[in-house]
Amino acid sequence: MSGGRRGTLDEAFRSWPGRAILGLIVPVLLGVVWFVTAQKGWLPEQLLPSPVAVWQALADTAASGDLWTNSLISLTRVGEGFAIGAAVGLILGVVLGLSRRARELVDPLFLLLAQVPPLGLIPLAILALGVDEAMKVAVIAWASFIPVVLNVKQGIGDVPRSLHELAEVLTFDPWYALTRVVLPAAVPPIFTGLREGLANAWQTMVAAELFASTEGLGYMITLGRQLFQFDMVLAVVLVLGVVGLAVNGTLALVERRLLRWQGQAA
Amino acid sequence: MKKQLRRRFGAGALVAVVAALAALAAGNAAAEPISIRFGYPGVGADNRPFANGDIVAVAHAGHFIEDEFKGDPDITIEWTFFRGAGPALNESLASGHLDFAAGLGDLPAIVARSNGLQTRYLMTDKVRDTIYLAVRPDSGISRIEDLANHRLSQFKGTNIQLAADRVLAAHGLTERNAKFINLDVGGALAALTGGSIDGTFGSVELLTLRDRGVVNIAYSTKAEAANFGRHQAVYVIEAFERAHPELVQRVVNALVKAARFAADEANRSAVFDLWAKSGFPAEVFAEDFSEERLANRLTPVIDPYVVARYRNLVARVREYGLVRRDVDVDSWFEPKYLDAALKAQHLEHFWPRFDVDGSKLTDGEVEKTQVGSR
Amino acid sequence: MSWIALARERPAGSLWPGGRPLVLGFALPALLLVVWQVICLARWLPPYILPSPVAVVERFATELADGRFGQDVWASLSRVLKGFFFGSAAGLAFGLLLGLSRWADRLLGPLFMAYRQIALFAWVPLLSMWFGGGETGKVAFVTLSAFAPVVVNTWRAIRAIPDPLNELGAVLTFNRLDHVSLIALPGALPGIATGLRSAMIYAWLATVGAELFLDIAPGMGGRLNEGRDKFEVDLMLVALVVLTGLGLLFSQAAALIERRLVRWRTR
Repeated sequence: MSGGRRGTLDEAFRSWPGRAILGLIVPVLLGVVWFVTAQKGWLPEQLLPSPVAVWQALADTAASGDLWTNSLISLTRVGEGFAIGAAVGLILGVVLGLSRRARELVDPLFLLLAQVPPLGLIPLAILALGVDEAMKVAVIAWASFIPVVLNVKQGIGDVPRSLHELAEVLTFDPWYALTRVVLPAAVPPIFTGLREGLANAWQTMVAAELFASTEGLGYMITLGRQLFQFDMVLAVVLVLGVVGLAVNGTLALVERRLLRWQGQAA
Repeated sequence: MKKQLRRRFGAGALVAVVAALAALAAGNAAAEPISIRFGYPGVGADNRPFANGDIVAVAHAGHFIEDEFKGDPDITIEWTFFRGAGPALNESLASGHLDFAAGLGDLPAIVARSNGLQTRYLMTDKVRDTIYLAVRPDSGISRIEDLANHRLSQFKGTNIQLAADRVLAAHGLTERNAKFINLDVGGALAALTGGSIDGTFGSVELLTLRDRGVVNIAYSTKAEAANFGRHQAVYVIEAFERAHPELVQRVVNALVKAARFAADEANRSAVFDLWAKSGFPAEVFAEDFSEERLANRLTPVIDPYVVARYRNLVARVREYGLVRRDVDVDSWFEPKYLDAALKAQHLEHFWPRFDVDGSKLTDGEVEKTQVGSR
Repeated sequence: MSWIALARERPAGSLWPGGRPLVLGFALPALLLVVWQVICLARWLPPYILPSPVAVVERFATELADGRFGQDVWASLSRVLKGFFFGSAAGLAFGLLLGLSRWADRLLGPLFMAYRQIALFAWVPLLSMWFGGGETGKVAFVTLSAFAPVVVNTWRAIRAIPDPLNELGAVLTFNRLDHVSLIALPGALPGIATGLRSAMIYAWLATVGAELFLDIAPGMGGRLNEGRDKFEVDLMLVALVVLTGLGLLFSQAAALIERRLVRWRTR
């Protein structure tokens, strides 16, 4: 914590390219260590597949089209499940946020339902809905639904009284008040809920695909594991990271845009 | 005040470090005597740790190996039964938690070897094992060709998958013609019962499901002339073999003893009863082996037929895209322990030996006995 | 996951609001139970697909009498606690490193953020390979799940300590250890507490997952598996109810610990 050293070095690394380079040093170093370890055979090949093998596995699945097909399927599942769960969650969250009666009625049950681990629901969902898309989308929707409701409810509930009163004073009709005053004020918590819902949806998708699936990124991991191809497993894990980054990044971008717009309007 | 806080945090840190060290020490506790660790790729009904259908199952249930080492107080025998079958066993093998893979199926063994796992094929555990296709009565499937576009399950990475793939191929189908969901044995049975899938390939556990009226058996490889059966064998980790060759010999001796017991038609009922410890009634084994000599499947020999089978399977495995690298079969087999055991127990001519194309090379004494009728 | 949002709800003791809200709160669950029982009585679904609430309670009683439940709950609890302990300890250390050291932040931060993108369950096969599918593998998975939330919250909390406070340390010529123990840790305590609470919740979820995906062993997740394999839906429901109940206990305990820690700091 020496304050004196803040000089040009620090300045340089505050810039974007500088930070990127710094951030890449350790991963590259690890990559080199990984490569050397695999070459020298210090760890058995099954425990740590060589980066070359992982790259090869990646190239193979990309070339055969499997990678794209499965990624698309996983993304579609998450998309569908999240859309349904978030939409229903938004509506329910707004209702609960606005009405104390509704909260009294539903809260205790909801608190309880929120504790049910989505993973534990999967076996039951398989019984009820089979092992197909319907089951996966349903479980993903459930997992997204809960945090959206909780955050939206909190966010709407936190909108200050003064804002509600302002809408009344300006004699806005309820719908106008809701969409032009209350909702925009609650955008940050709503987006927190959406972000958590998406994270939940993503995690549940992978878990559901590990359970019972015929396609998808989680299925590719399972298949790799069953066929003892851990280079494939590692390759798909890395792909998951990249796709996860893209998905979360997109949501963050949308959130930033929306907040900026809100800031401008205000 | 500052000193007080610092002392408190320092003490806390010290306690944490000591606790961590203690935990570490406890983990690496007492030096143990030699433990021979066996892994079996499968579990019995309700996940109980018993096997069925092969020599190793007889050896385990009949305590043949434990008897062999009874007089050695510093040698313990450990058995692990893997619900995840071959693939799960491979993981334990690769991470050094097992010494012997007793009864590992052909596909998982080939797959492991293609990924560099150093094992030695010591003796055969079972050959020509039948697989069945079970389907739900309302699925409308009565032959293999009908499987197209249905939803089935398959335990990926096990020798069931390989045998099933070969059956499909013989009828002009591939895995892509139907939807194959990866489910383990328990999951498949539950899915069949619950109706989530239309059918699955499997073993005797499907016969019990048929007896309960949940499925029909639409196909079985028993009647097929072609070699659609699956195989299992006993493997040892090379490192263990190098370190304890005498222990390996004794293990093989015990297993050969069990094989002798299991292949004897006079012991037919006893063998089925030993297998029944896995939770399936003896009747299903009797049905599975109906009109078939026990020794037809329960033979430990490594003959040209077995070697050729594995070579053939390796080619299939590459063809189906289950393996991406070549597998060296020739240096895999290590028959010297088996030969020594057979010689010591005067069993060199007990089992018949077959040639590459399946024709008989030498006769076996066991063939002179009549097939039991239970 | 959702439990983060859940626990962030401020109404203290909201589970037992007392009076009319209490009655109202029970109305909906009670109604659902009645509907469920009616569906079963009317046989709209075969009993082996959907057992009645009565059947579930009966099964629960049977299992309880059987005695194995205690062992299962204990097994699950021990995994959660072990994983939480190791994961949080490692997470705290790493989070402190990232928060206090500019260089660590720049060098290791991006790598950690990238690692976070990978869904937790994707690690199951690799962990199973490296640590086996037994206790070690399960605890390893739980440890991993507890690690990230603690790191993120600690890191953020330390970064959020206002500069004047940091400069105060320099003025009083604190050495590293003093700075950490007297300024950084106390200042970041609320954030760290939040991280620990998240970690607790994630650790519980991971325990359930580990028991479902790895080897059979005593544990509540294992019972769920058992019910699934044997096709005994009543056992599955019992296991799910117990899991839910335990989850509730955990989230409440986690929230309590957080409150205590914050209160201790502001003493």
